[in-house]
Amino acid sequence: MAALVYASELTLLSIGFTLTYLTSKIPNFAHGTYAGIGIYVSYTFSKILGISPYLGFPMAFLLGGIFSVLVYLIVIKVLTDMGGGAIVLTIATLAIQIFLTAILQVYAYYLREKYSTYTMQFLLKEFDFAFGGFPGIFIVSISMTVGLVLVLHYMLTRTKMGIAMRATAEDPELASVLGININKIQLFSWFLTGGLACLAGAMIPLWFQSSPASGAMMITSIMAGSLLGGFDSIYGSVIGGVIVGMSEIMLTTWGQSLIGVWVGEYRPMIPMIFLVVILMIEPDGLQGAYKKFAASDFGENILKSIGLMKEDG
Amino acid sequence: MVKMLQDVALGLLTSGVAVEGTARLVVDIAMYFGLFVIVAMALNFQYGNAGIPNMGCAVQVITGGFFVSAITVRLMFIIVEGAGLELQTWATDFDWTYNNPANVRIVNDYITTNPTFGWSMLLFSLAGALVMGAVVGYVISLPAIRLRATYLMIVLITMADAAQIFGRNIPWIAGGTLGMFVPNIFAWYPGDRTVLTAVITLFIGLISFLIFKTMLNSPYGRLMRAIRENETTVGSVGKNVVGIRRNILMFASGITAVVGSLVAFYFSFVVEANYQRAFWTYWPWLMLILGGPGNNAGTFLGCALIVAMRRVIIVNKWFLQELFFFPVAYFESILLGVLLVGVIMFRPNGLIPEKLLYIPGVNYTLMVQEEVDIDWKDALKVNRGFSSGLSGVINVLSGKDPNEEDE
Repeated sequence: MAALVYASELTLLSIGFTLTYLTSKIPNFAHGTYAGIGIYVSYTFSKILGISPYLGFPMAFLLGGIFSVLVYLIVIKVLTDMGGGAIVLTIATLAIQIFLTAILQVYAYYLREKYSTYTMQFLLKEFDFAFGGFPGIFIVSISMTVGLVLVLHYMLTRTKMGIAMRATAEDPELASVLGININKIQLFSWFLTGGLACLAGAMIPLWFQSSPASGAMMITSIMAGSLLGGFDSIYGSVIGGVIVGMSEIMLTTWGQSLIGVWVGEYRPMIPMIFLVVILMIEPDGLQGAYKKFAASDFGENILKSIGLMKEDG
Repeated sequence: MVKMLQDVALGLLTSGVAVEGTARLVVDIAMYFGLFVIVAMALNFQYGNAGIPNMGCAVQVITGGFFVSAITVRLMFIIVEGAGLELQTWATDFDWTYNNPANVRIVNDYITTNPTFGWSMLLFSLAGALVMGAVVGYVISLPAIRLRATYLMIVLITMADAAQIFGRNIPWIAGGTLGMFVPNIFAWYPGDRTVLTAVITLFIGLISFLIFKTMLNSPYGRLMRAIRENETTVGSVGKNVVGIRRNILMFASGITAVVGSLVAFYFSFVVEANYQRAFWTYWPWLMLILGGPGNNAGTFLGCALIVAMRRVIIVNKWFLQELFFFPVAYFESILLGVLLVGVIMFRPNGLIPEKLLYIPGVNYTLMVQEEVDIDWKDALKVNRGFSSGLSGVINVLSGKDPNEEDE
């Protein structure tokens, strides 16, 4: 169950990460920290205001989006206009990550000072509700992720905004020639990624122990999920997020029961191993593997028999 | 200031007196300057000159530190036991960690009477760290070097975390979370040990500066800059871009690892928490970017400014603490983030922009100027008419003054 919850949260984060990479061509290291913002929105709603953390989800979405847009407007856009390369932009996102994490720590200390509660390491399970024998977050996180993926799919394929977004991702210059306002698209996609990340973050403390830095620590898993999906395919990142999230929890649990408790310490290594193995075998991830598979004779036959690929002529 | 320097110089000579107060701060800043300037120069070598964004400096530094705790300390124990002194058992992980302080004390006593042993162990650790760093550089280059710069950054950043996890969970290496004492290799020295360490660090910094300077002015250095500017072109001329990059990464990793072992000797203690990613990767990057990537003078300036600022903040922590309700450490991270973004945004070339390479006998400045100084409008104005205009342009291009011929 924990694996499913974690996987669904990671999927949301991976989608956002991939979306940023698609539209702005930079790996956003601050992405995990948006989840940290979500964690503290949940915390504020449940512990400080004393209402259900679920009511904080819209707030988390908005706040994450606003933060993300601010990051884009103040730093990323200025640097892009100045002609900064991918490396410079990535360093800038790293700096933002450090900055935002420190701000979260400061906020946590502020809450501790003011309300004298535990703010550094906490779990919000007691604010969760139970539904048919399952904890609420189990149902909410999975259904929300599935729903959001479907909405996103609809948006990207059917609405004008989504198609414009995909066009911008493919070729920004061509898109602008066709009369698409790239600025607006970028703003929207940054808002969306920040919102999704923050929403995923808001669900984390309902099941997992959280701290101000736990969002930033998830970045490796997010990147592994996104890389497994191929880094520039949103559907790939959905699959990648699920696989990395599931394996991270399940391999740790199995390892602990089979080999020994000490395996648990090496949990952060699992996404790293994913990263390294993917980079060494297939740098384009599942998308590249799929392309290779479809290009080979064997794969072509199978895809045709399933009906995924059209018959020639 | 002069008084302070005198105090420091005296601290070197006077025996048995620990350096304290402002002089202590100066020694501290000198030590950290020496450490970080080596890391930042190696980074400058990789990123500023060859365009490899090495975000994993912490991996290499940690390698040097772990080499000292895992291999040098063991070697010391073996030698001291061979010399006939009785050590407590250190065979198992448990004994290795818990008997460590007692054993280190015995080794310290031994070094007091054998300065040669201390020196040889220092040299052994430095050489070993150099080799191990190069090996680690080779290993981390395997999955990532062929890839795009952003992938390289991702892998290197996560590697730093991986190294820390290994150090934390394998007591064999550095005593796990408890850490590991390192024998004082300067136990024979009557004065303050840290002063000597600082001097040695600065000396190593000077040597590595000379090495880097020579390498940058060599044909290989020009090749590196060519790779940074356009790797496709370099590859098409028949150079092995991947191999050159790997060599650069290995060499710079070796030099960075030396810093790790120096840190271990400065603290006389190795624990994985000392080698945090933020500390050994982000701050050197800030120094590099603030000073200006691509030239060593900028690296020196950036390093001096940042180290002085940080040490002053840390030393005056208790005064600053009253101003904040949260720990000063987070104020430092905020400062780091803001400075990094600010420098990138407002001074993209750093405080000292990159200069053209100085190569004896070749005047690059003149070469560049001759190309730039062609004013097409003036060239055509001087010689009216099409044919004369064309010849005027040719004259300008070939460096002749067109007015000279007219007269």
